[in-house]
Amino acid sequence: MSKLSILKRGLCGLSLTLAASLTLAEEAPSSGHDHGPFRCDPGETFYMNVMVSGVEYWFPVYEMMKQAAEQMGCDTVYTGTPEYDVNKQLASFEQILARDPAGILLHPMNPDPFIEPINRAAEMGIPVVTFAADSPNSDRVSFITSDNYQEGRYAADTIAEAMGGEGEYAVLENPGQDNHDRRISAFVERMESNWPNMELVARAASNQDPTRAYNAVLTMAQANPNLGAVFMPEANSALGAAQAAKELDSGIKVFNADVNAKILDMIKAGEIFGAVNPNQGIQGYMGMMMLYLAAHPEQIDPMNDYLRSGFNPMGVPFVDNGFSIVTADNADDFYWGDYLERRGTRGINE
Amino acid sequence: MTANTPSFSPDPTKRGLFGNIRKMRELTLILIIVGLFIVMSFASPYFLTWANMKAMLLSFSTEGIVVVGMTMLLIVGGIDLSVGAVMCLAMVMAAKLFVLGMNPWLASLSSIGICSIIGLIMGNCVTRIGMHHFIVTLAFMGIARGASMVITQGTPISLFSLPPEFKFVGQGTLWGVPFSIIIFFVVVIIADYLLRNATAFRKIFYTGSNERAAEFSGIRTKRIKIGVTVLSSTLCGLAGIIYMSKFGAATPNFGVGLELNIIAAAVIGGASLKGGEGTVFGAILGIALLSVVSSSLILLNVSVYWQDLIKGLILLAAVAIDHILHNRSVQQG
Repeated sequence: MSKLSILKRGLCGLSLTLAASLTLAEEAPSSGHDHGPFRCDPGETFYMNVMVSGVEYWFPVYEMMKQAAEQMGCDTVYTGTPEYDVNKQLASFEQILARDPAGILLHPMNPDPFIEPINRAAEMGIPVVTFAADSPNSDRVSFITSDNYQEGRYAADTIAEAMGGEGEYAVLENPGQDNHDRRISAFVERMESNWPNMELVARAASNQDPTRAYNAVLTMAQANPNLGAVFMPEANSALGAAQAAKELDSGIKVFNADVNAKILDMIKAGEIFGAVNPNQGIQGYMGMMMLYLAAHPEQIDPMNDYLRSGFNPMGVPFVDNGFSIVTADNADDFYWGDYLERRGTRGINE
Repeated sequence: MTANTPSFSPDPTKRGLFGNIRKMRELTLILIIVGLFIVMSFASPYFLTWANMKAMLLSFSTEGIVVVGMTMLLIVGGIDLSVGAVMCLAMVMAAKLFVLGMNPWLASLSSIGICSIIGLIMGNCVTRIGMHHFIVTLAFMGIARGASMVITQGTPISLFSLPPEFKFVGQGTLWGVPFSIIIFFVVVIIADYLLRNATAFRKIFYTGSNERAAEFSGIRTKRIKIGVTVLSSTLCGLAGIIYMSKFGAATPNFGVGLELNIIAAAVIGGASLKGGEGTVFGAILGIALLSVVSSSLILLNVSVYWQDLIKGLILLAAVAIDHILHNRSVQQG
């Protein structure tokens, strides 16, 4: 695989503009603001709110939200509910509203139940930016996420190229979770459209369970002795799939989405062929910057009808945070523990 | 004590071998599994191969260890919703201790010991305070899962440096048979034998059938209930260690929802949710049936959107047939 890390450019325009503005801001405070642009008032606090708050996916998001906030002198708080329960997340969202936040970076578990609370927040002057999952019919100011279709396509190309463009492959799925479904459908569509000699021979629902993935791959390999690769849209299943592939010793290439320390170790050891990993930290960094701008709309004077219409001039409805292809060559750069150590922080615990 | 006498105890002197087999509670389940095997052997040429048999055995062997404990708990009139969480806790505790420098065997024994203590606390909550198994184990499901989250900080612990002799437990083979399957058979055979023959284990049935009558006849039912709860949690700990060795990792969300599969397997195998009934052999057949159905759906390339639906329908049919035939046989005496 020649391309080690492929960073999509979807957000470049916006990020370069904002980064340049930040630099300028530190050098020359503008008029119309007591302490210059891109600086928070003392005690100005932004919140991040999620469901299943112990899931490691959120940690880089919050860490980089904190990074951007610290650069602007803002405070941040990590909140959410440990349960997979929309009612409990709604309750935690309401608790934030009661604390008069400057803005909320939100991962809504379901889109529609959050419409009314988000709209109420907007009426209260509290901007909400959604990340990784959206509430599109609400008045949230922006949505930042990965392009799951593009992730699936790149994964398909990577595997097909590694197999010389021909062979049998299977997929493990987690039906019902949107981002996982998108990755799988894009993966299969890409194979069908661009790699006609790659044949999909089996599909199974592992539902993020390593044991089910392990069992499924063992069974798939019985029915398809020439099985060459298995793709799955998340990390947990990869643990089981890779172990099964190792025991079968038939050279099945396991490729998954998302990484953690174990996946990275297995990639380095050659037990997992590679992974596609969204740059979720950027969701936090850019999300924080968009929240700040939405909370301080006086800093923007765009050439449009925002004054007449009453819209928030921070009108960026969608941002793509990009992704990376992780292989044995670059896996060392993705260890969360090493990153925290390098930055000298304690992640969500501060 | 006569309301729900153990259903597996054939008396060879009265019925003869055929009569005993015919009266076996598990016969229906065996016939259903054999029927599925016959259908699948025609439907897929890969089904009746040693490799596939081994794959299916591997798929339920470790869960099967947990099923053994759950079956005994159901027989004694309890239930354990914490099995998945306790199993996960054993895994992450042993992993954390290993990462901190402890010998992996000692770390594993320590974490299994902690699981036993959890069982002891749960058993005491049930017997001394008078709480129901359901609510106590529900609470411990949260406690154990929460503790796993605290220990791992939400991130899987990678155990790439586990020594090969420890990995052998989950990944090695002995005479061509995976070692985890051998552990499973040892546990099942011992548990099934004890439950059928050992006086101490027979008291589990008496306690589950009619606790008050058992007390009057001198059985220390509280001790029996505590003992079975400890055994169940200990077996969860053992299963967690096997999984840790197999996957070389400890993830804080491992075993989520496992309790439903385990309870379903035990009940399919003939264990009664009201207590007093069930066998280890039947429960293992139950989890084997679940595995055969899952494996068959994958081999037949059934759409993932249909797999859970079809699996549910097959299981419903299997349990319904079993219950109808069992009730008929009870009515016929």
